[in-house]
Amino acid sequence: MTCTAVRDRLTERVLGGLSARDATAVDRHLAWCAACRKEAGELERASATLAFAVASDDPPEALEGRVVETVRRSVADRNRRNAPTPRRSRLTLVAALAAMLAVLGTGWGAVMANRAVRSDQAAQREVARTQSALERFQELVTSLEFSDPENEVLLGSLNPAKTGGGGGSALTLVSPTIADMAIVLVEGVPDDLREHLPLTVRLRGPEGALLVGRIDGDGLDDSGAGTVTREFGDLTGYDTVIVRDIGGRVVLRGSMQTRATVTSPSP
Amino acid sequence: MEGLLAGDDDAVRALYARYGRPIYSLGYRLLGTRESAEELTQDVFLTAWRKAARFDPTRGRLSTWLMTIAHNLAVDRLRRETGVSRPTLVLVDEVPDAPGLDEEAVLVERDAAIRALSSLTEAERRLVGRAYFRGMTAREIAETDGIPLGTVKTRLRSAMIKVRKANEGKELL
Repeated sequence: MTCTAVRDRLTERVLGGLSARDATAVDRHLAWCAACRKEAGELERASATLAFAVASDDPPEALEGRVVETVRRSVADRNRRNAPTPRRSRLTLVAALAAMLAVLGTGWGAVMANRAVRSDQAAQREVARTQSALERFQELVTSLEFSDPENEVLLGSLNPAKTGGGGGSALTLVSPTIADMAIVLVEGVPDDLREHLPLTVRLRGPEGALLVGRIDGDGLDDSGAGTVTREFGDLTGYDTVIVRDIGGRVVLRGSMQTRATVTSPSP
Repeated sequence: MEGLLAGDDDAVRALYARYGRPIYSLGYRLLGTRESAEELTQDVFLTAWRKAARFDPTRGRLSTWLMTIAHNLAVDRLRRETGVSRPTLVLVDEVPDAPGLDEEAVLVERDAAIRALSSLTEAERRLVGRAYFRGMTAREIAETDGIPLGTVKTRLRSAMIKVRKANEGKELL
């Protein structure tokens, strides 16, 4: 996005009126353009001034105590979770989740939309397999660190950007108390794409793009599936997964949308 | 901010003492019920604690940061809860002054807000009100009013430049 295009959108950005897609594009530009960032900062201060323009009201006296208690409880939760959790168990969990995404195979979009084919025996087996995987996935999501109600686990499907094959799934964990995490599974990478490895997997968000990892030939199995995982400081708002080939062409794309309140598909 | 980052009670109370009332007021005036305003206030302080490490005082004021969080959360809620009736917006220059209740820093912000409102024409005030306080996008305003999107954007920008000038006055105080 050019400076002109960004300036055209800055007013809406600070007023909160841009789509998530446009806001992300503007923020990516602001991350490196000091001149536009300065302009955005001034508009943001002006916008914040408007927040003081509403007539004042007295909050109830008890609200202060509730605010303090809310923060205190979250701090205690964070401390409790940080203290005893061995890194090994977290890595085990990450591996299990990655494997679970792989087991689901056809991708979360189809699974969540409950579009499994149901007409024949093979389809019945597919449904049973998916249901079993979903149940185990649910157990994992609600276990250990994921049981913190403050955590947000989002899922998404990866789809081919244009023509071509492949697909995949992605999971992000955004937590106030532990490191955030992303797991991205690509699958069904076609033979012609294997000529253009490694694949670079990034998450796009409010402060630009974050590298999740790269998948080279060794990282793909015979079926064309591979997984990357990485921990981050803060994945809030990082809701788009982009996978590019070695030439920089986008080959897969997906949005993190579905909250991981998993429901089993009906048989 | 270090105190807030650590979740220190005194730090949270100090921040609340300064900004609790304006945040609650924003929530009440935008969302319309005391319950929603209380929830919003708690959410704002919780979000501030979570993101305290990302606050950079060289890039902006604490008040800007906090009220931006409050506004974002309120607008998110406005957009999520479509169909809920909202109260008539009452701005600070439409009610009698209630002195002595806020700290100096907040009074300075409020004075800047009053200057900003007075610098706007009635049409600009309505426009900013719909965009900022009702969470309407420029496209939604253009479609509702039957005017070109570019015109809405230009008018919004012009209005925000006026608000920014009033804000510059605040810097001098």
